Amino acid sequence: MTNSDQRSVAIAAESELVGLLGKEIFFPTGLLGFPSCQRFNFNRFNPGDGSASPFFVLESADQEVSFPLIHPDFVPRDYPLEISPEVMSSLDVHNDADLVAMLIVTVRDRPEDITVNLQGPLIINPSALIGIQLVVEEYPVRYPLLVPAVQ
Amino acid sequence: MLILSRRVGESITIGNDVVVKVVALSGNQIRLGITAPREVRVLREESFHALREENRAAAGAPDSNRRLEDVGKQLRSKTPERSDDE
Repeated sequence: MTNSDQRSVAIAAESELVGLLGKEIFFPTGLLGFPSCQRFNFNRFNPGDGSASPFFVLESADQEVSFPLIHPDFVPRDYPLEISPEVMSSLDVHNDADLVAMLIVTVRDRPEDITVNLQGPLIINPSALIGIQLVVEEYPVRYPLLVPAVQ
Repeated sequence: MLILSRRVGESITIGNDVVVKVVALSGNQIRLGITAPREVRVLREESFHALREENRAAAGAPDSNRRLEDVGKQLRSKTPERSDDE
């Protein structure tokens, strides 16, 4: 799976996600394992106590399914992404506007076991409101979100 | 399962618009070239399974709201890794 036309993309900063809040995003191919979920609402995750949270929620408009998300800047490692012209065209990208990348969070019992999926990031074109779950095989499916405390 | 024999350089077609070509052979490894419409996702099977399972786990995590609240507080206490003046 090599492609010489891959190009690095500028990923919008977390602060630029505001424009997507409350919007419905269309995923033409669904998410892996959820092919019939195509329409998702994007919102901030709101803790019960009203505090600010780094998490977002992608909630299916087709089924009762939702995914916690976080911006890649919260992941303690470099995370360059390259996107093929085919993906660019399926996202309806016509200019150099920043794309949005979000990572799906898998919540587990112990906080230190919570992981983000670096292999299957969600890439969203914020102006067209189209998204795709990209597959980047060189990254792990489960990467710890929290850095272990330094002893 | 349908089983076909192909030589290097030969192809099979699946449906109207998917073509799988045997590009090269080396030991027990085969290189395949796949042509498919862009709405058809082509993945190594193990990637497909791993990602599907991870998506299901993420969607079905029990009691995730409370846990997200707790972890969110820890994360918010530090700023994102990237700064804007890079």
